[in-house]
Amino acid sequence: MFIRIEKASGVPISRQIADQVRAQVMSGAVLAGHKMPSIRELARELAVNQNTVLRVYEKLTAEGLLDRRHGDGTYVGVRPKTAKLRGQRQQFKDELSQLVRRGQMLGHDAGQLHELLEAVIVKQASTPISTTTTENKP
Amino acid sequence: MTTPAIQLTSVRKDFGSHRVLKDVTLTVPTGETFAFLGRNAAGKTTTIRMLLGLLKPSEAPGEAGGSGGSVRVLGIDPAVHPLTIRGRVGYLAEDQQMYGWMRVEQMIRFMAPFYPTWDHDLAKDYLKRFDLPAWTKIRHLSKGQNVRLGLLLALAHRPELVILDDPALGLDPIMRKEFNRDLITHLQGEGRTVFYSSHLLYEVEPIADTVAILHNGVIVKQAGTEALREQVKRIVLPKQDYDRLETPAGLLDLAQRNGEAAITLEDPGEVIASLQASGTSYRVVDLNLDEIFEAYVAGDTESKQVEETV
Repeated sequence: MFIRIEKASGVPISRQIADQVRAQVMSGAVLAGHKMPSIRELARELAVNQNTVLRVYEKLTAEGLLDRRHGDGTYVGVRPKTAKLRGQRQQFKDELSQLVRRGQMLGHDAGQLHELLEAVIVKQASTPISTTTTENKP
Repeated sequence: MTTPAIQLTSVRKDFGSHRVLKDVTLTVPTGETFAFLGRNAAGKTTTIRMLLGLLKPSEAPGEAGGSGGSVRVLGIDPAVHPLTIRGRVGYLAEDQQMYGWMRVEQMIRFMAPFYPTWDHDLAKDYLKRFDLPAWTKIRHLSKGQNVRLGLLLALAHRPELVILDDPALGLDPIMRKEFNRDLITHLQGEGRTVFYSSHLLYEVEPIADTVAILHNGVIVKQAGTEALREQVKRIVLPKQDYDRLETPAGLLDLAQRNGEAAITLEDPGEVIASLQASGTSYRVVDLNLDEIFEAYVAGDTESKQVEETV
């Protein structure tokens, strides 16, 4: 698993790590049962506080993405149940409302916003983002 | 409750008529990596010298309170028991001077007798892990090797608390990252307390549990590194909507241009809620640690108007 930290970014480091692990697990790039690096190893590799990595692992474990086995290590879990994603859904909704607000500031009315969204959905549906969306391929 | 590794209470320090530290209060719990931030000449090194018992707080006769505050390191007053403190604390100075004519190995043997708890096997172990050439003269070491030797000398007596005064100064990015890795593995990994002064914020952020900002002689902010990110936000909104707002509590900086106002503030929840309630259009900007630091030490809450030069 490759993780990259961007220093001096507006995004906190724990969120940077969590987002990248989540993206790789959700897209199927890393499969269930894959052993994650230990907290010490990952902290050393990224030159990041061990407590930060620990918090990320705990958070992702609570989401069901990771499975911490006591005395053994941390593994990629089976796919998280959708209920666990409520937090991310809410965040997505917030981001979307901000985006809509910016669109309104640019002078787009409701009809135009619908058109734009429709166009993006059509475009995305024809480009697979991971192995799980291949059924959408024409 | 366990004794914190460092406890400063209302510490004051004058040099002649110049008051460097006005009222410094901070607590460093045992086992934490604590980043001590401030601009050049903010008083970081003065504070560190007090932690080591090299300086005492100034008395303030005739003023309320009278005393210059209290300094406790590992529960001890370093000004009263400086040798005890120096035996239990590891210290890496900002621009440490070592005898250039000594070989690395000689330097280690020279330092050992100063510390009753010196662990020579550990020193040899660090020598290997830090990849230091034992038979090279100190004046021929690279800057990075010099800092690692300083760290070895600061750690070989197994101190409970390690004080680092801008250790990464003058190291290139790769050496800084290596230095941080050593810190994570050899200090955090072993549960030791680290007090790390720096003004390179983006270097410190990934490794610090807690951040304190020293400005104008007082600690203007102490918070968990991630919590600080959550607590301080910038909100951009139309100027006329800002003018209708009461000056928000916790305002750190205000800038206006092109009919927009950008306010940087602590705990923005209330302001955001009231903006939402009134249907004002606004956007919340996440700030990086440099910007947060700037808001605290150079923030301007007067209604400054930035002139646009077209």
